[in-house]
Amino acid sequence: MAGFSREVARRIFAEELKSSNYSFRDGEEQNQYAPQYLLTPTGAKCNRVFIVATLIEKDDIGGDTEYWRGRLVDPTSSILIYAGQYQPEAAQILANMEAPAFVSVVGKPNLYKTEDGNIIISLRAESIQQVDEATRNLWVMDTARRTLERLTALKNAKPAPVSSEFATADKVPSSAPLQDAERALEHYHTDVEHYRQMTLRALSSLKAELAKNGIAPEPKIVDRATPESESLPTPEKAEPEEKQATRKSKGKKNESLSAWPESENDEEVETFNLTKKS
Amino acid sequence: MKELVDQISARLRDQKIEVPDEEIASRLKKLIDDFRVPESEARRSVLNYFLKEHGIMPLVRASSEKVKISEIKEAGKWVDLEVKVLDLWEPATEAISQTGLIGDASGSMKFVKWAKSELPNLELGQSYLLKRMVTDEFQGRFSVKLNRTSQIEPLEKEVEARPASRAAQAVKVVEITEPGLWVDLKVKVAQLWETNSDAISQSGLVGDETGSIKFVKWAKADLSNMEEGKSYLLRNLVTDEFQGRFSVKLNRTSQIELLDVDVEIGSQAAEFSGALVDVQKGSGLIKRCPVCKRSLAKGVCSEHGKVEGTYDLRIKAVLDDGRRVQDVLINRETTERLVGLTLDEAKQMAMEALDHEVVRSLIESKLMGRYFSITGPRVDRYLLVETINDVPPVTESRVDELMAEVEAV
Repeated sequence: MAGFSREVARRIFAEELKSSNYSFRDGEEQNQYAPQYLLTPTGAKCNRVFIVATLIEKDDIGGDTEYWRGRLVDPTSSILIYAGQYQPEAAQILANMEAPAFVSVVGKPNLYKTEDGNIIISLRAESIQQVDEATRNLWVMDTARRTLERLTALKNAKPAPVSSEFATADKVPSSAPLQDAERALEHYHTDVEHYRQMTLRALSSLKAELAKNGIAPEPKIVDRATPESESLPTPEKAEPEEKQATRKSKGKKNESLSAWPESENDEEVETFNLTKKS
Repeated sequence: MKELVDQISARLRDQKIEVPDEEIASRLKKLIDDFRVPESEARRSVLNYFLKEHGIMPLVRASSEKVKISEIKEAGKWVDLEVKVLDLWEPATEAISQTGLIGDASGSMKFVKWAKSELPNLELGQSYLLKRMVTDEFQGRFSVKLNRTSQIEPLEKEVEARPASRAAQAVKVVEITEPGLWVDLKVKVAQLWETNSDAISQSGLVGDETGSIKFVKWAKADLSNMEEGKSYLLRNLVTDEFQGRFSVKLNRTSQIELLDVDVEIGSQAAEFSGALVDVQKGSGLIKRCPVCKRSLAKGVCSEHGKVEGTYDLRIKAVLDDGRRVQDVLINRETTERLVGLTLDEAKQMAMEALDHEVVRSLIESKLMGRYFSITGPRVDRYLLVETINDVPPVTESRVDELMAEVEAV
């Protein structure tokens, strides 16, 4: 019997994910089996994350057993993903994949504290799959929208510094996202403007790419599968298009990569030089 | 042994209880010799046994206070109540011998009588003086618990109590949006499921023109069985909720009436858009029971045992929009179209690989991480996919719209 409900996979840009350093267990019982959550600066309480980004490097960093590490880049920053013997399917797919490629990853955020006190956030991949650029673009939109929702919640959660004893009626129904927002504000003192700019940057780089690729404004739907319509383009037919799209994007990869802003607060642990690729 | 018997008999005499030494000795012997109980435990147990025999509580508890139901505002208090039994419910576990609603002039409250209390059963409509109960609280609602130290005294006079408000309302399935309500439903049995507990005599899905809902018929309800495909008027059901999904329970007070008319099961088509984040076990090439169409586990049907299964292709997946998850079921026809693989090809693939999991892997490689919009009826926690489409690609104008929204924050 389904005695549990699946954790929603949150959408978070890499830059925000990397800025997170607050994780805790939460659940009906506060024990070692309670699910672990990472609270991000904009108040996404995530046990699971869904990201579609560009895999730019992959390495087997394991000893006797394979342990794969990949670096994903989205329009804001980069994040490391890991897959080892406990994620055999994800590890195998990562092993057989060629970077660069667009990949979708469902994973659990992992918080690691280095000896000198730095916190590194990575994702333990539950699944990895190669996808097309269209899917990646949808993810950027999806993530921008969810981030926008969280930013709005942050704004609504903000006013309460001095007159806390005058709890007004409209403050009482504190919904869950609002609680997360308040918690995030308390911990991170989140600069809403910073993440608003991040979201705008992600969207404008997406817009620039769309303009460059010259995608028609109303592209037809690929792979329509409705019981009513009989003459459907089969996925076999759709596949060449996908491949083309991937190839095309590969050609433009370096261009668009260098167009992405280098984030200043990247350097401590996860520095990587975009220019060395080209 | 003699020493132990003397100790016990002395303690009993303190309470003015005379028990023959032989009786004490024989109980002690049984525990110590036959059941290997340590002496100290045996002594305690035998002493308690005789104390209880004579109506004396082994431990002195805090004294309880006679109160009215409306005065119970704190958990963990010992109370006495004069009440009438307004309702009896099905206990959820064997640890509970009776549960239900009791009331006095000031209000009504849930009670729980633990099986370990070994107290006699309360009768519906009877009035009692219930002594030494413990108050409890859950989510702001109070209840009283009858434990081993509690006592039940039937009352001659009838306690005046407000009857529990439980006039069942005739509703449609779609209107069930709150747990703990009494309802009547006119439905058809869509599916019967195997029950996984002796406490349940039947469970499955019933539906009317507005949708389907899970039902549970308790074994203790002692109601006749319903048949799949037949329509019934079900009276006096209680609604229940678990993780946002509703169900109805048939209990002892419920009634089942067979209907002549056929209730049509409709469904309200649901829509969902999101990324496909999981292709679950049981997806791909499966075998079904030829009788009941259930999927087989290692060639065994949970209902009909080992059967020669028939092959089928299906997908159990999870869509996720970043806020909610939706379980979806995709049938063979749609799976074939979506994945571009016929059932025969899937069989061929599995045969060559000597592993039917290859089919699931192929499905995964084609669908994982992609964005889909789906529509179809919602049944239990699943959305049965009727249409599934790729979410249209992002256009510059959509990006502009969203940017404007972000600017406005």
